[in-house]
Amino acid sequence: METPRPTSQSDFLVNKKRIRVLGLSLDDATKFFFGGNAVVSIIVLALITYFLFQEGIGFFGQNHRNLLTYRQAGLEYVDFIRTQESGHIALTRYLSDLRLRQYNYYVAEQKMSPAAANQALVKFDDFAAQYGDAVEPIRGMVSDLTEQATAIKTKFLIAEDKKTERQQLLVAGKINEAAAVKIESVDFAAELHILTGVLPVYKQTSAEFAKKLDASLAVAPRLTTPELMARLDRFNQLTHDYLATFPATTRSLETWDYTRPVPWYQAISAFLFGREWLTASFWQDWYGIVPLLMGSVMVSFVALVIAVPLGVGAAIYINQIASSREQRIIKPSIEFISAFPSVVLGFFGIAVLGQSLRWLSQQTWLAWVPGFPFSERLNILTAGCLLALIAVPTIFTLAEDALQNVPKAFKEASFALGATRLQTIIKIVVPASLSGIISAVLLGLGRVIGETMVVLLCAGNRIAIPDFTAGLAVVTQPVHTMTGIIAQEMGEVVRGSIHYRALFVVGIVLFFLSLGINFIAQKIVRKYRISIG
Amino acid sequence: MSPSTRHEFQSRPSAARRWESAALWLFRTATYVILICGALVFGNIVFKGSKTVFTTTAPFINVPFFTEAPESLYVFDYQGQKREMGDREFRAFKATHPEAKDIKAESYVYSAGGIFPCIVGTVLLVLGSMIIALTLGVSAAVYLSEYAKQGRAVTLIRLAILNLAGVPSIVFGLFGLGLFVIYLDWNVSLLAGWFTLAFMVLPVVITASEESLKAVPKGFREGSLALGATKWQTIRKNVLPYALPGILTSSILGIARVAGETAPIMFTAAYVVRDKLPWEGLTSVSDFFFQGVMALPYHIYVVSSKIPQNEYTERVQYGTAFVFLVIVALIATCSIVLRNKLRNRYKW
Repeated sequence: METPRPTSQSDFLVNKKRIRVLGLSLDDATKFFFGGNAVVSIIVLALITYFLFQEGIGFFGQNHRNLLTYRQAGLEYVDFIRTQESGHIALTRYLSDLRLRQYNYYVAEQKMSPAAANQALVKFDDFAAQYGDAVEPIRGMVSDLTEQATAIKTKFLIAEDKKTERQQLLVAGKINEAAAVKIESVDFAAELHILTGVLPVYKQTSAEFAKKLDASLAVAPRLTTPELMARLDRFNQLTHDYLATFPATTRSLETWDYTRPVPWYQAISAFLFGREWLTASFWQDWYGIVPLLMGSVMVSFVALVIAVPLGVGAAIYINQIASSREQRIIKPSIEFISAFPSVVLGFFGIAVLGQSLRWLSQQTWLAWVPGFPFSERLNILTAGCLLALIAVPTIFTLAEDALQNVPKAFKEASFALGATRLQTIIKIVVPASLSGIISAVLLGLGRVIGETMVVLLCAGNRIAIPDFTAGLAVVTQPVHTMTGIIAQEMGEVVRGSIHYRALFVVGIVLFFLSLGINFIAQKIVRKYRISIG
Repeated sequence: MSPSTRHEFQSRPSAARRWESAALWLFRTATYVILICGALVFGNIVFKGSKTVFTTTAPFINVPFFTEAPESLYVFDYQGQKREMGDREFRAFKATHPEAKDIKAESYVYSAGGIFPCIVGTVLLVLGSMIIALTLGVSAAVYLSEYAKQGRAVTLIRLAILNLAGVPSIVFGLFGLGLFVIYLDWNVSLLAGWFTLAFMVLPVVITASEESLKAVPKGFREGSLALGATKWQTIRKNVLPYALPGILTSSILGIARVAGETAPIMFTAAYVVRDKLPWEGLTSVSDFFFQGVMALPYHIYVVSSKIPQNEYTERVQYGTAFVFLVIVALIATCSIVLRNKLRNRYKW
């Protein structure tokens, strides 16, 4: 816009004074005001990224120190032996399972009284007791060493605390007070000597342990059915495999060295590939995202398996088949479902759905379904069903839009060639809108994976990687999820602690996961959009 | 249809036709399964919740439930009778009945009284965040649809909006915690909750507003500009008034979303329990903005996860869920109905 020169101002018949502030006319100012508001979205996105990283990035340093302490205080050393012990526990569990099967066989098939069945199992019990007791020396050793290692760790942590205290005093300028803070430095080499000193004893104990196991296997009684015998053989095999790991354990103990540095990348890989999320434990905290990620993925997967056929099917029905009256009623109804607050759905899951599903699973005529019956009321399936209800409206609305965008000419041409309605839908309309449908499913996935309240309330909140050996029954196990863990633990952690920062890092993972899903969905729409030419 | 009534041009039954109708029925079933599931959830909550919310005697509505604060519920046997009392009532009872002093009572937190503070908190949260979101969102939409020329900046803005829409709500909660609660030191407060929620619905509001602005015909703007009005005058007098109904109705859906979210306010604005109402005990005006509140969704989370399920606790659980669901559903229904009406009204 040209500004009239002051001299020629009187030449105009209509003259308007423009108010200018800082060289901006009112119009420019409004424009900048609106523009500024539009930029807010960029700023918010940037701020989200910034603050997630600001709070989260310190985790990796802390985790590195955490892992370093684990090694230096000898916890790692003790855990080598502990692994050996827990291997034995798993085997004894197998054995007691075997006993239960044999007992059931006696009672159910041979109609023995419980007392008689127990009588018949005396020999087996002797064997199991001998097998189970063999580990005692090792167990005693582990518990002794655990105490010692914990003592070293505590000592070290106290020293670290004192150091930070002194540092803070120095920063505050209180030099005298800082000097008064006594720091007991931890001499790891000396302290760990007690730990590493047990190696010869361990070697001997371990050898005896192996011998005892071998000996007890020799006295294993025979079981009554071929199936149980096969299991016993399997048990023998497992024990031999287990015994074969002993030399490796000894070797790791021999070569263990507390001075071996922990590479920096391990702080990251321990988080990304760590299979344990264990916090506030007296021994060692682990921050591994895998169980949470697997939980989120499993729950979302179940939700999508249910929601995709329903959502896409309904979209096809509404867009291609339904009468206009049906359309007018059903479309708003499904939109209405999308307004259900997730916390209400979560409550519904706790109060009704969980119990109903469990009741259903305990019906005898449904016993053939994998995973049925289950005892956990809140599990992947319960959460997945409810999440499906959340995902369906999203998938339905977007898929319906995609179907709507298919040019009418496509359909007409298909009909003109003599195709039936079903043929037209399956061969013409759906393929033409496939990119839109896929992106609808992806956006539904994004919605489901970021959903918090339903999984927090209904997924069972057990931090464990689902046991995939159970086959399809895996969906009846409880899990914990990324969103759930943040919501549950963020209220209880100390600000700035490693746990607090770990939760922020989980948030970062979630943030980028959803951005990634969003990005792929957009990409698919743009790349495979059909040209209407 | 019997063969005798079949006329010549009618299509003959065939395997393909049977397949077709089977497939069409499959699609129909999918649609109705969704509707039935939705109706089941809605029906269950409404049915069981209405027992708490409504009464059989006048005024037919459980007034204390809407006007009182949550209390602990005490259940005890007294002279062979089962009595249930709220916290205050129980204390008064003990004071008047000295013999009942050492009576053993089972207590259930939050299971008596009402949900008034939660309703107030939710209303405050929704109002504040919607004011912020509407100001920011409508302005941004005006810029995008009226002023902006295609360019890198605008592409970037649109990309940001699109991505912001996909960010999980719990991440917004973390962001609010990091920025407002910790960095700006607002603590757990209304203000922190407002901004967190406002940023969360921003994409919804921007997209809805832009759509409504785009629906105003070009001729309106051109006519005004031709008469010598400035751009801002044109927008103020000839574009916004026609777009405003659309903007507001579509943004109501945003309100439903704000009211329904729990995760973003968990660490930014919501308290598990607070005895003071937001306008009580204020020493200065700013205190109002820097206080946490109780909120309905968070209260539902607390009562459904932290207390056991039984006949005593069920009332407050279902009652709260019912009230909340009905509020959100009403807002959503308003939005859907208004939008459909609007679509029919404005045809330029």
